[in-house]
Amino acid sequence: MKQNQIAPPRWALRFFKWFCNQHLAEAVLGDMLELYIRRRKSMPKWKADALFVANVIQFVQPFAIRGKSTPTLNTFDMYKNYFIIAWRTFLKSKGYSFINIVGLAVGLSACLLIGLYVKHELSYDRFHEKADRVYRVNMELKFGDNHLNLAVANPLFGETAKIEIPQVEQTTRLQWYGSLLVKKGDENIRERNVAWADSTLFDVFTLPMLWGNPATALREPNSIVITESVARKYFDRADVLGETLTINNTESRKITGVIKDLPSNMHFQFTSFVPVVEREDALEPTWAGSQNWNTYLLLKPGAIEAEATSLLNKMVDNHLGPELKSILGKTLNEFNSEGNFFKVSLTALPDVYLRSSRIGELFASGNIQYVYIFSAIAACILIIAIINFMNLATARSAKRAREVGMRKVMGSMKSALVGQFITESVLTCVVAMLLAVGIAIGIIPFFNELIGKPIEISLLFTPQVGGIVLVLTLLVGILAGSYPAFYLSAFQPVSVLKGSKSSGGKRSVFRNVLVVFQFAASVLLIAGTLIVFRQLQFIQQKDVGYNRSQLLTLYNIDKLGNRTESMKTSLLQITGVDKVTVTGYLPVNFYRSNESFFTSPSLEVKDMISMQKWTVDDDYVQTMGMQLLEGRNFSRDIAADTSGIILNESAAKFLGTDQILEKKLYRLVNEQTKALKEYRVIGIVKDFNFSSMREQVKPLAFITGLNDGGMTVRLHAGDLTQSVAAIETKWKSIASDLPFEYSFLDADFDQLYKGERQSGNLITYFATLSIIISCLGLFGLATFMAEQRTKEIGIRKVMGASVSGITTLLSKDFLKLVVIAVVIAIPAAWYFTSQWLQSFAYHTELEWWIFAVASVLALIIALLTVSVQAIKAAVQNPVNSLRVE
Amino acid sequence: MKGTYLGEFEELVLLSVGILFDDAYGLAIVDELEKQTGRTIMISSAHKALVRLEEKGYLKSKLGGSTETRGGRDKRLYQLTQAGKKVLAESRELRNEMWKQVPKIVWEGGKL
Repeated sequence: MKQNQIAPPRWALRFFKWFCNQHLAEAVLGDMLELYIRRRKSMPKWKADALFVANVIQFVQPFAIRGKSTPTLNTFDMYKNYFIIAWRTFLKSKGYSFINIVGLAVGLSACLLIGLYVKHELSYDRFHEKADRVYRVNMELKFGDNHLNLAVANPLFGETAKIEIPQVEQTTRLQWYGSLLVKKGDENIRERNVAWADSTLFDVFTLPMLWGNPATALREPNSIVITESVARKYFDRADVLGETLTINNTESRKITGVIKDLPSNMHFQFTSFVPVVEREDALEPTWAGSQNWNTYLLLKPGAIEAEATSLLNKMVDNHLGPELKSILGKTLNEFNSEGNFFKVSLTALPDVYLRSSRIGELFASGNIQYVYIFSAIAACILIIAIINFMNLATARSAKRAREVGMRKVMGSMKSALVGQFITESVLTCVVAMLLAVGIAIGIIPFFNELIGKPIEISLLFTPQVGGIVLVLTLLVGILAGSYPAFYLSAFQPVSVLKGSKSSGGKRSVFRNVLVVFQFAASVLLIAGTLIVFRQLQFIQQKDVGYNRSQLLTLYNIDKLGNRTESMKTSLLQITGVDKVTVTGYLPVNFYRSNESFFTSPSLEVKDMISMQKWTVDDDYVQTMGMQLLEGRNFSRDIAADTSGIILNESAAKFLGTDQILEKKLYRLVNEQTKALKEYRVIGIVKDFNFSSMREQVKPLAFITGLNDGGMTVRLHAGDLTQSVAAIETKWKSIASDLPFEYSFLDADFDQLYKGERQSGNLITYFATLSIIISCLGLFGLATFMAEQRTKEIGIRKVMGASVSGITTLLSKDFLKLVVIAVVIAIPAAWYFTSQWLQSFAYHTELEWWIFAVASVLALIIALLTVSVQAIKAAVQNPVNSLRVE
Repeated sequence: MKGTYLGEFEELVLLSVGILFDDAYGLAIVDELEKQTGRTIMISSAHKALVRLEEKGYLKSKLGGSTETRGGRDKRLYQLTQAGKKVLAESRELRNEMWKQVPKIVWEGGKL
């Protein structure tokens, strides 16, 4: 009893005995007990206990832990032996080892590539020095039946915020300029990615300036800031500060800054910036009206986003109130009480690319959904590869059972055996990883083309990625090796050496589960691929409401000036040309203009329709191959058509159901004088897609007039190249000073879905890969099984079994597993694919046969893989197979 | 010469082993050091120094001398080796030599 009372905590004692070496344990424990007993006389038990524990912990140091008593045990030799054995096993069964290593390497390289892609996607805009303080302003507008989520704000927004809101330190705006024609020698070259930018651009974004002063570069009119590569394009050198560029043949712009090329992971990819000061409308005081500036705010350090947002909303309300009063004659409260609102929100700079797809984004944004999908695929592939590895290793365990038995008899401990097998598997993984890095480096150029992103090989060799690769290798090695290691080391030496465990095929429940999982993942990927492809095909073939083949769009029309009309008439004389229309508004281009129309002149908000207003000529509808459902097209013979308007079906729905023709629409042309323009509906055109298929077709109206943003030519079927050549000749004769530039509309249309197509391709490649890896594993497993049952097959054949009978016998077990996998995979596949399809407003239906095809495909592949081995085993001469021992 | 270097704490431990003579074991050394220096000595640091000194060959040890008060566990009793004695002597020699070289005026607090 007394002894018990003075004993320190048992667990601490045990812990100490466990970690401390032989040399010290006894004496130190004695010392500590002595000290403890001494302490117990002067302090309560809990305190003495605590001090005891503290003492124990103090000893957790190398000098007390390392094995002092067995310094002669040579662990180096042991590991050397492990390596030798691993190498011999490798050589002994080259086939398996090859399957193992290649399977793993291919899987790992796929993971590496996907990892790099995901890393690149996630890295957008994070490199800016003030990235954590920069926010993009979003406006959410609701008035009447219109509900818009914009990535743009009104012209005054940023400046006002900087003045009125203490949290805002700086602001800058960007807007597409469109393209510039820059003269080089006698030639005009088109610079496509040009933006209007405020002089504060460089305060907000980190765009290192090589030559020039960032503070003043965008202050003066007629200046331009260009990137290094643009500079090299026109001057063959980069230090071109103060030089001038001739723009659009007539103007000249002085280069006031040369910046480094924008990194590929930036949400805008402009190559030139021109100063906003040239714009008269840059500070137009309108809060309800035009929202068309991508506005960025730099908050002060420590400012809280939520607070800034609520202050910004108050600011908008304060300015919007008086304006609504003067235009609509309503107070803000009345406006809001009708369910209308103007709401401001902020998007953090690093989220702009991946997590925002609003109207008015500067460049096509990424999709976080794809980042998730690809991460999941990478995980799937990795798991499949690891499972292969485990399966093959456990299956082969029988072959090594004797080795394990011998080792155990010779005195090997279980831990040493576990260590041996884990070493072996880690070693294999290291080899596989080296191979994987090699493969990844080899196919990165191809991969980049596939995803349309410049991912650099050097990314693989950053410490961060290197660390991940290292950890991944060890993790996979340990994970894949652990099951075989524990399974094998648990063998009873007696039974193993007696030979009763020589058929490792018996205990295969775990292995079967793994095979099922593998094939379930494969079926999931096959079904996913099929559905993605069907959707892409659906987009390609869907009736978009116009005929996009044989349409040629010509550029530089705005530079033609008064030659536009003669160009049109002379193009029409070419035999290959059917029709010509002049406008920049095309279903696939970025010419867009949103306007508010009212159904009554009283400008009630409830009568408001927000529509696309496209200015087109009277040849537009025919050239595009659009279909008029009611009414008629514009005609140049009817003078009243200048106030005529053609609506699409979606817009017509706003006006009710009956008798839409001849209805009147009104548009505010001057906010001060409240002057209105009256339109009369003359026709209804069938809905056509003019934005992504992910969205429903929005209301749209054609009005007639001249817009020289482009010229679109419908060609007759036949030799298109010849027609294009003829058009070029005509162009050169009329406008020799302007470059002849064109694109086919169907190519532009395909460009719209490039992201989808790239992802579709990627998914296919990776799905194929995962199936190949699964099959490699299955192949290895089948080979092994056949080998295991050599004797059985021999006897069966002697007894009169047929080749087909034996093949069936060998394949049956595997097919059962694949069937189970299919049953598990289909509901999962159905769930994920329907989720994805939901994100398209126009999508194909999920049909049962897709899943049937995926299942049958998986079954056939599995059957082929297994039966090759099964037949090989079945046709063997029984004499040979029975002589095995 | 890494092997012959002797830290201050190590020197004190060696001297304690000498003082305690036939009962120089961990806790006794800790007690002795605490008594002599007035510092608090962690039991683990004493043992750490002992292990290191034994590795350097200045101490040798054997197990023995268990008592009731320590749960019947053996002590590890330390003893100075020839090398240990030598290194202590050298250390003392060095100090004496250096003391002698310090001008008297330093100790008497004279001004320069």
